[in-house]
Amino acid sequence: MVNYLQTSPDLSTTFAALADPTRRAILARLAAGRATVAELAEPFEMSGPAVSKHLKVLERAGLISRGREAQWRPCRLVAAPLKDAVDWLEEYRRFWEQSFDRLDDYLRELQAKDKPASPTKEKKNGRNK
Amino acid sequence: MAATSNATVAEPAERVLVIERVFDAPRELVFKCWTEPGHLSQWLGSTIVTWELRQGGRYRMHKRGPDGQDHWQQGVFLEIVAPERIVRTHCWTDAEGRPTRPETLLTVTFADLDRRTKVTLHQAVFESVAARDEHQRGWSSSLDQLTEYIATV
Repeated sequence: MVNYLQTSPDLSTTFAALADPTRRAILARLAAGRATVAELAEPFEMSGPAVSKHLKVLERAGLISRGREAQWRPCRLVAAPLKDAVDWLEEYRRFWEQSFDRLDDYLRELQAKDKPASPTKEKKNGRNK
Repeated sequence: MAATSNATVAEPAERVLVIERVFDAPRELVFKCWTEPGHLSQWLGSTIVTWELRQGGRYRMHKRGPDGQDHWQQGVFLEIVAPERIVRTHCWTDAEGRPTRPETLLTVTFADLDRRTKVTLHQAVFESVAARDEHQRGWSSSLDQLTEYIATV
């Protein structure tokens, strides 16, 4: 069964967090292993506070978790919401493929019925199947 | 004798959904099936509640799932070029119209293949109306790395 309809309010939060390229890059960096704010800020020419803002969004979306150690609070990737997001796209794919199958059948039925318009009446009884 | 071909591609670079299929029917008819409520409800399995087929017009459809649950899909038409292209937003919602899933941007193109029609459906997650250009790049390669990572979890 296609599960595309299942309500998952968190998914919007996940996608909102992922919509920003910097945040995606931060996540990609974290996929390679945990890192500190300073380490994460380095490739972006961004201030510590600016990066912290992004991290807060990611943390609220449940995409990362941060260590408790006061000085170096390493960030860590949390994979579950990302997996949900990827799964969701897959559900959409199945939804459309099934819809396309039905459209294919429907078009056949339609054209079988409308055959009189064609001069050659090869298939009088145009019932499908 | 069915001359139908299939292709499904999930664009790896952008994490955008792309589905292509060739239908054994002329383009005008296929386009009608996507734009006229009477046809649409037949193959989509939904009841058309609202259908304002014009730029800026809204649409809303209702579907009862096999589980007996009610679901709605709705959005806004951004572009209608008969019989070539439809661009609309798409979102699953509850009965009150509140999104239950993120909004997506749906672009459906119809290519004339001489009595046959190639339909290409392009669905993007980040290309919502306001942020269309800004998010044109969609899911960058960084997400591919993430996807790989997820696969290992």
